Order: sequence, then C-alpha cells, then structure tokens
Amino acid sequence: MSTEKTDPGQVEFDVRTDEMLINMGPQHPSTHGVLRLVLRTDGEIVAGVTPHIGYLHRCAEKIGENVTPRQWIPYTDRLDYLASMNMNLGWALAVEKLLGLELPEKAKHLRVIIVELGRIASHLVAAGTYGLDLGSFTPFMYCFRERERVMDLFEMACGARLTYSYLTVGGATHDLPAGWLEKCEAFLDQFEPVIDELHAVLTSNEIFVRRTAGVGVLTPETAVDYGCTGPVLRGSGVPWDLRCDGEPRYAEMYDDYKFEVIAQTDGRYPKDHDYPPVPRTAVLGDSWHRFYVRMLEVVQSVELVRQAMDRYSRADGSHGEPVPLRQKLPKGEAYLETEAPKGQMGFLVIGDGSPIPWRVRARSSSFCNLSVITELCRGCLVADVPAILGSLDLVLGEIDR
Amino acid sequence: MDAINWHSVFFLLFALLACGFALAVVVAGNIVRMAFYLVLSLGAVAGLFFLAGADFLGAMQLMIYVGGTLVLLAFGVMLTARGPFVSMKTTAKTWALAAIIGGSLLVVLLQTVLSVDDWLHPDAAAVPRPVTTEPTATRLGLGLLGVRADKAQQADETLRAGMSGYLLAFEIVSVHLLVVLVGAAYLARAKRKPLAKAPPEEGHKDPEGQ
Amino acid sequence: MAEYLINNLGLAPSWLAHLLAALVHCGLLLVLILTAVAVFNWMERKVAGRIQDRLGPTRVGGRFGWLQSLADGIKLWTKEDTMPGTADVLLFRLAPYISFCASFCVFVALPFSNGWVALHLDTAVFFIIAVAGLEVFGVILGGYASGSKWSLLGAMREAAQVVSYEVPMGLCLVVPVMIAGTMNLTQIGNQQAGWLTNWFIFHDPFTFLTFWVYFTCAVASVNRAPFDLAEAESELVAGFLTEYSGFRWSVFFMAEYASMFAVSGLAAILFFGGWNGPLPVARLIGLTPESGPLAGYLGNLLGLANFVGKCVLGVTLMMWTRWTLPRLRIDQVITTCWKYCVPLAAAMFLGVMLWMVALPGGLGLLPSNPAATAAADVDGGK
Repeated sequence: MSTEKTDPGQVEFDVRTDEMLINMGPQHPSTHGVLRLVLRTDGEIVAGVTPHIGYLHRCAEKIGENVTPRQWIPYTDRLDYLASMNMNLGWALAVEKLLGLELPEKAKHLRVIIVELGRIASHLVAAGTYGLDLGSFTPFMYCFRERERVMDLFEMACGARLTYSYLTVGGATHDLPAGWLEKCEAFLDQFEPVIDELHAVLTSNEIFVRRTAGVGVLTPETAVDYGCTGPVLRGSGVPWDLRCDGEPRYAEMYDDYKFEVIAQTDGRYPKDHDYPPVPRTAVLGDSWHRFYVRMLEVVQSVELVRQAMDRYSRADGSHGEPVPLRQKLPKGEAYLETEAPKGQMGFLVIGDGSPIPWRVRARSSSFCNLSVITELCRGCLVADVPAILGSLDLVLGEIDR
Repeated sequence: MDAINWHSVFFLLFALLACGFALAVVVAGNIVRMAFYLVLSLGAVAGLFFLAGADFLGAMQLMIYVGGTLVLLAFGVMLTARGPFVSMKTTAKTWALAAIIGGSLLVVLLQTVLSVDDWLHPDAAAVPRPVTTEPTATRLGLGLLGVRADKAQQADETLRAGMSGYLLAFEIVSVHLLVVLVGAAYLARAKRKPLAKAPPEEGHKDPEGQ
Repeated sequence: MAEYLINNLGLAPSWLAHLLAALVHCGLLLVLILTAVAVFNWMERKVAGRIQDRLGPTRVGGRFGWLQSLADGIKLWTKEDTMPGTADVLLFRLAPYISFCASFCVFVALPFSNGWVALHLDTAVFFIIAVAGLEVFGVILGGYASGSKWSLLGAMREAAQVVSYEVPMGLCLVVPVMIAGTMNLTQIGNQQAGWLTNWFIFHDPFTFLTFWVYFTCAVASVNRAPFDLAEAESELVAGFLTEYSGFRWSVFFMAEYASMFAVSGLAAILFFGGWNGPLPVARLIGLTPESGPLAGYLGNLLGLANFVGKCVLGVTLMMWTRWTLPRLRIDQVITTCWKYCVPLAAAMFLGVMLWMVALPGGLGLLPSNPAATAAADVDGGK
C-alpha cells in the first residue's frame, strides 16, 4: 500500500479551477486574535497569504512617551497578554539598564521563578489552542485547567490573574507571600504527570502528527532571514536562546542554572527526560517540531522554577524595591532583548533627563514570526493554514501594540 | 371509499410527480434547481417501483440514480458554473426541435403501450397481489446465478429455453464500468509539475509513503 | 398493525385501518427520533464535559441539567429567521428537511425488536444504504443555496467525503448479509438469538475486524470527528452550516443525531444481535410469543430495551472519539477511505467468504447454541 507521497503544491491539474480570494478573519475562531489573512486559493491549494494587521493597535508606544517607565508597566502587560510577566520583565530590565541599576540576588531569583512560570502558562495556551484549531477540544481544557493553577499562584503574589504589572523597574512590587513556595512546589508536583497526558493526546497522537508533520517547513536560513525567534527558530534546529546567548544583564539572571536550550542539534533533542520520540514523518522545521520545542521547554521551565525556588529561599536581600515613581531617566538609550515565551522581545527606552522617556519601542517577536507566514503557506492546503498559524503561536497584542 | 382503488390513486400521484418534475426540469432556468427537480422526479420513479412491489429495484433506483448520478451532476454543475445561480436560456429554435423529437417519441411510446392487450383492459388481467413480504431479493439473486424462478411460470416452451441466468451479462457490464472508471481516472489524473525550487536540504528526511 | 386494527378492533374501512397504522408507525418513529435527539444532545454535553474534566450542564432542570436540551430547543425555535441576501430562497429553505427526511427514512426499515418494524422489507439492508446516501443532497443544496464561498467549499468537501465512504460501508455491510443469507433485518436479528456467542461479530475474526472498519466508515459518513471537516469551526467557520441558524440549523443537527442513532442501530442488528441480549433472558423466563400475546409483547419490549441500549453505547463511542481526537484534513479523510478502508473492507469480505466456504461450522471454539437455529427462520413480519 505504499504510494509516493505527492506534494500537493507540486501538481498541476488539467481541470482549471478558478482562483478564489478567501478572507480569514478578522473575526475567525482560529486566527488567535484580530488578524485578517487574505488567502489566494486555487481550488484547495493556497497560492499566497497576505496578513493584514493593525486591528488591535492601541498606540502603546506613543503613550510611553507621556508616562513614566513605572507607569508604562501596565501597558507592557497588554502586549503579550498571555505572558504578561515576561513583558514586565523585558521592560523593567531595559529601564534598569538605562538607569544602571543592580538588583539584589533574591530579586533575580524571584524574577526567574515568576518568568518561568509565565513561560509555562504561555506554552499551555499555545498547546491548548493549537489542539483546538485542529479539532481536538479536550487538551484545550486540560491546558487551561493547569493554567488556572498558575494564575492562582500569580493571584496570590500580586492580586491579578492576567495583566499582572508585578515585575517592575527595580524588582517586584511585593515579595512573595508566606506559603507561596509550598503551593508552587505542590503545583509543580502535580503538573508533571499532566505533561505526559498532553503528550499522549497531542504530541504522539497519530492524527495530530498527520496534521502537523511536514506542514509549514521553515528552513533555518529563512527563519534567520525573517527574524524569527523563540520556538519558531529553535524548531528549525537553530540553538539560539537568549537565556544563554543574550546580553549579560539578562543572561546573568540564568547564571548557574542547569537547563538546556531546546533545539534539535545533530539530529537529537537534549535527552534529559523520556520525551516522546520524533515521528518518522516529521521534518525539522515543520509545525510538529515547533510544537515539540514548546512542550519540551515546559519541562525545562519546571526544572528552572524548582532551582530558582531553592535559591530564592536561600538568598538574602530584598525582593527588589521599585524605584521611585518619578525617577529621572539619564540621557541616553538602552535596548535589551529577553527570551519571552513567543520569541525575542526587545524594549528600547531613550531617556532625556526627565522622568518621562523620550521614546519607547517594543520589538515584538510575533511580528517577525508572522511575517514568515507568506513563505510557509505557499503551496499548502487551506486546512493547513490554521495548523501553520497555530504553530507560530502569535498574539495580536504584541504584533499591533 | 372502499370502492376506490387506492393502488391506482397512489400510482397516479407518483406518476404525476414524476412527470411534473420532469417538466419542471425542462422549464426551470436555474441549473441547480433543474438538478433538484430531477432528483424529485427520479425519486417519484423509485416510488413507482416500490408501489409495484419491486423493493430491490426501487432501492437501486434511489441509490444509483438519486444518490449517485445526481450527486455527480450536482458536483459537476456547481464546480463548473462560472457564477452562482447560472441560468440557462433556451432559444425558440431549440424549443421547436425539442418539441418535435419529444413529440415523436411520445407518439411511438403511446402506440406501443396501446398495442398491449393486457394493459388496455387492466381489470381483466389484474392479479391480486398478496400484501406480504415476498422474498424478492432471493429470487433476484438466484436469477443472477442462473436459477430463474420465473422460468417455471413461463408456459411457452420456446421462451423458457431462452431464459438463463444474468451472470455473464452482469460480468460484462462490470468490466465495462471498470474500463470507464480507469479511463476517467487516467484522463483526470494530476500531472506532476517540475519542482519549482529545490527541497530543503538540512534535516530533510524522505517522508515515507502514507 | 393494520390487520390488528381490522380484526381485533373491528375498524371497518380497510383504507382507514391502513392509514391509521401508517400514521401510528410514523408518529412513533418521529417521537423516538426527536426524543433520541434531545437525549443525545444532553448526553453529548455531559460526556464532553466529563472528558474535558468539567461537569457540563448542571442548572437547567435539576442537578444534572436534564432539561438543557429543551431550553436549547426553545432558544433555537424562537431565534430570528435570517437568510443571506444572495441565497436561493427555495433551496435554502428546503435543504435541512431533505437531510432530515433521508435520515428518517432509514428508521422506517430498521427493526427495533422482533417484528417491530414500520416497513417489512426483504431488502432492508440495501434500502437503508440507498436512503442513507440521500442525506448528502441536503448538505449540497444547503451549501450551495447559502450563496457564500465558504458554504460551498464545506458542502463540496462533505459530499465528497460521504459519497466516498459509502463504498467501504457497503462492502462492510455485505459481510453480515453473507453470513445470514438474507437482507431482511428482522431475520438477521433472529438468527442471532440465544447466547451472545451467536452474535455475528463473534462468528469469525474477519467479521470482528469488519465491524471496526464499518464503525470507522459510519463515523465518517455521519460527519463526526475525526471526520467533521464540514462542520470545522476553526477552518471554514461552520462549512455549509455557516448561514443556518435557529430552527433550520437544529433540523440539520437532528438529522445528524438521527443518523448516528441509525448507523449504531444497523451495527447493533448486523453485528451485535440487535434486540437479543447477551443472555436469552426473555426465553428463560418464558416471555416468548408461544406463551401468549402479552408475554410475547413483553419479550419484545425487553428486546427493544436491549436494542436501544446498544444504540446508545454506539453513539457514546462516537461521542468519545469526537472529544478525544483532532480532526483529519480532507485529503487525509479521502486517503483513509480509498487507501485504507476500501482495501481492508475488501480483504475482510474475501476472508469471510473463504471462512464460510472452508469452515462452515466455524472453529467450534464457541459453544453451539441450539436456540439460534430454531429461531433462524422466524420472521415476525405480517
């Protein structure tokens, strides 16, 4: 029964089908936000995709020129609203770089705990909604059940469940309450078997593999050309992670932490746990590999949180007192990129001596990740578009700002 | 009400439906509506079969004509119509030609029908049909294999000798259909375009056939 | 039933008796279908909830949300009747009812217990296959008449899928017909009377596999996940259903649930003995027609409970797969049909045929059951 696999983009039909312009969005259940994709299809095959963005533009950067950096923290929450903590961190680090601030040890470890938990939460959404796009309704519920627990932890820490504004310039707004570490430990203990459950319903599921393996193959060169970062880049086999390779102010947060960069090098993934094996039909750089990288990163994040909790409880110093509200910014500029769950998130702040920055800029990872969709979707089937889009894990808040 | 031959009433009803919808096919302008009316017309014909006690034939009519041929027709119409709700305009010349051909066919059919004695005097030839489940399918199956159950009822010796099973004819028709299918598949085959760009080299494993 | 009315109740005009009998049969079936739809709707939400680690409806009508289906139905009936401006009015209005009628016609030939069938057809299996294939017409017309590209795409996909899966489904259905030697569903059911070892699914390993192939094809032909491309929310919004809301949408969904019930019922009769339970309880406690009409009726009632139970299990299995597995792409659906299901079904067909020729008495692994042969030729049809 073996037949040659026919690439649907490489066949030509005698029967002429007319080209159709299909509009996906901006209201569409699977475009992950208000994104409008105009597909040019020839029968069932997509000839080209043009994304139209801007439906969620809220002038965040312009507002940044009118408020102080600490006042801009809530706006960073609403950039990648599924990983607000990571956005807070990026902005806080950029401003601290401009101010030349040094944080106490305890604050750094606190930040690692929070940020890695944020990574887990973001990847849970990515996995759940990806399953939902492909028709698998149940993993969505499982992922959100676990995400609820993470949000409960965050609520204990700062009082909010989605837009936290917790990590701020100088450290964090409050220290972790008593008993938080035990609860976090309990969460991690019960979470690890759930990851295996998710592997069973998604990663190793035959139908899921058939829908995602070989779909939307992104070569490393194309990924680098388009500026893709994060799991999109690592899914193509490029072992670039700012937590190791980033600039010192950020990478030193992860000094002495044992973790691996999840990317397939020499044909293997880091073999630390018993991950499900890579299916035969999966090609490096396809949607399955991008999804797999995220699932493996969740395991790494759990490790990191455990190590960070250990160091946090042993470190002395404060959690990092926030700087005064109207802290004067020195003249100059600072740009810093962090490894957010969706990719490299960069923040630029240009100070001019007053408390209010002269210019604020957010370089969003999803923006560059979205741009590669024109390459990926060329020649695929219409049903593959949600599969590819879901694997890129976009958030329109980040793209439109 | 007992005197009314309900069988005839239902026959007339189904016949009217079949003819009426067939006329509607000819008269309707919209192609898809034509296909729809054809569905109803052929469905009414299936009803006629059921009414005559030929369950197998009726089901076959539904399956082949309504379920198969008409779905194909609907596909063809919808995929090749240049816009939705395409209408067909028939010229007066076409109408005239159709009337002549249709009219002559009708005349021939009427002549044939009226020449059968049994059909001209129905009451005399009526055979009371018991309303039970006759194992019709078994008889058909046996007939296929050569055991003609209706052979025994045929009085004429010469005619009886000529009745054999349908198996050979069935096989011939099946082979014909196979040839048609293979030919259609070949004609509509997808031709491989030369690859526009080289496939990605790094990490590209040759995917196994599904 | 008409004879019963004429003879026992003395209903004089025979046409009236026949008409009443037909109306009662249709009424019963309609009530059965509508009740089944309401129950399955509730069950779907509860089953979905439990699989997803949540509760499902818990407020309407008590702690278990019994009346949720009723509330949904009322909402759908009272919803505004919208129609897209570019729609073909007649076909748009007619399409849901065509689907529903085709679904309903299947029940007309499906026996619910020994002799309890609306239409005693000798070619019941063939009739059911034929009529079930008509449902796709409602889908095509619905998709086309909506006047939108999305709907048309979805309708075409679904039509291609249903029509393709009719082939392996037909091949699979021929297997129990071959074993039974008749297409009469009542007789097929009666041949499996006795202990559960008489069920056709245990007749030989090929038939066992045939059931699973049939189940896959049945799930595909009623458009349930993992084959629910036509209703895929994340891809074509709702496919051919995009423009349907309110009562018309609910009619389409009634057709879908009714079809699920019907294919489960067909599987139950052809493979799992239909109204015969795993143990011949009715016979053991004397509820047979020989003991009198009332006893026969009660025996048949027990059979009905058995049958409906098996149907519900089949439908639950379909729901289970829906909420667990992601959906296949259309080309994968068609590939599964033509490259996997059809060869498998053909191989099973060949296997059963060879088995019946080579081992007519079976392997003798399962205890032989005299009751089965005695009941083999009884057709409760009148």
